[in-house]
Amino acid sequence: MDKKYEKSLHIVGRLGLLIGISFMLGIPAITCASFDVWPASVGEVLTVGGSLLLVFLPTALAEVVSYTPVLGSSAYITFLTGNVLNLKLPCVINSHSLTGTTQGTDEGDTIASISVAASTITTTVIIIIGVLLLVPLEPILTSPVVSTAAGYLLPSLFGGMVLSFANENCGEYIAKGKNLVMILPIILVFIVNAIYPLSGKEGFAVLGCMVVNVLVAWVLYKKGIIKMIPKEKASKEEKAE
Amino acid sequence: MKFLEIMNSPLLFILVELGILYVLLFCGVTLFRSYRHGVEIGLTKQQLKTAITSSVIYSIVPSISIVVGLVSLSTAIGIPWAQFRLSVVGAVTYELMAAEMAATGAGYESMAELAASAEGASLAGTVMFVMSIGILAGCIALLLFGPRIIEGVSGLRSKHGEWGALMTGVLSMAIIEAFLPMQLVKGPVFIAVVATSIGVTLLQVLLVKVTGWKWWNNFIMAVTLLVGMGSSLLWLQLLG
Repeated sequence: MDKKYEKSLHIVGRLGLLIGISFMLGIPAITCASFDVWPASVGEVLTVGGSLLLVFLPTALAEVVSYTPVLGSSAYITFLTGNVLNLKLPCVINSHSLTGTTQGTDEGDTIASISVAASTITTTVIIIIGVLLLVPLEPILTSPVVSTAAGYLLPSLFGGMVLSFANENCGEYIAKGKNLVMILPIILVFIVNAIYPLSGKEGFAVLGCMVVNVLVAWVLYKKGIIKMIPKEKASKEEKAE
Repeated sequence: MKFLEIMNSPLLFILVELGILYVLLFCGVTLFRSYRHGVEIGLTKQQLKTAITSSVIYSIVPSISIVVGLVSLSTAIGIPWAQFRLSVVGAVTYELMAAEMAATGAGYESMAELAASAEGASLAGTVMFVMSIGILAGCIALLLFGPRIIEGVSGLRSKHGEWGALMTGVLSMAIIEAFLPMQLVKGPVFIAVVATSIGVTLLQVLLVKVTGWKWWNNFIMAVTLLVGMGSSLLWLQLLG
């Protein structure tokens, strides 16, 4: 990636994030000033939010470390706008899969940013429509059928994403046998979860799986089980066949 | 003034809509810059269009489930703050839990009890600050370490040739490895929904191969989500 462009990505991303944080804290501050409902003290905020911080601080940090390598520079806009797991990550992975690009490359990074921006605009507009139509839509949205189905978003999502992950695409290479890497980490997650429930700690599980993936990939690559074939060569072989 | 009167006040609506406008602006700028850069580095118009259309179409179904969350969240913390939290940083699962934890942290049984109480209004600012601060850690960590992580990954790739490509290529697999088993252990209905989604995806991939309808690729995820979520109603009757 062009260094100048890379630098500008970080500057714009960080600036965008800083302005976003200003809104997150500025809106409560202006509301407090206008209605005279300031917290009694910093201590009150910490007391009320203590348990929340204890639960979400480690998870939030783990999510940044785990998801940023997949998101690339789109991480800035992703973490600013939230809904990372149910929206932004699937969009990025789906787009990479459909365009034959991969993260860690300039092309993959650009596709990720485009996907996240397009996804966020869509979601924001739908939420605005939801707010405008909240009264007439409420009976439908709170109906048992919709509420029940909405509760099964994640299993539908991960079922649908299995094929996006199970491919041999590796940027400019085809990685024959790459999918074998997934077997051991999945087994480990089942075992660890049986001993120590991982619910709510998935960010840490992702981090652990990344480490295991690299180790397993290294062993399989060195043993010749995973073969890296340049895409140009692979397509020539395909045509010859 | 009561808690929900503050949380549904015109002032808060205006402030939140300004925040939302900023988010849309930031996304627009990112989309424009990335698209232009994509053309410069040789990505085809078709690839760029695919990234946009597939993301837009996929995002519709999960966004509707966010609106479902908006309904329940708005009854607890008012419409504008719920809209802001679900558009900026938050996620449905986090926000509902965060609102409840803020209320219990303040000594109330639930957010509903806090909202109904006479003293609840004085806690409006505290609740809003707590919900923001609780989720800021990720943004701050990204501000501090983001460039190092991002440059580290692309550096690994460029320095180590084909091993670098493989190493970075297997990182994203960790997401499905960590989350799929967590869904499967939740019970037979969850397993059936996962299996349905895999089946529906396979059928659509087959459809594209047989008919040559490449445009359908953009709809695969959205259709899978709809059918998967809808199938839960059937599986609940049969297995629940």
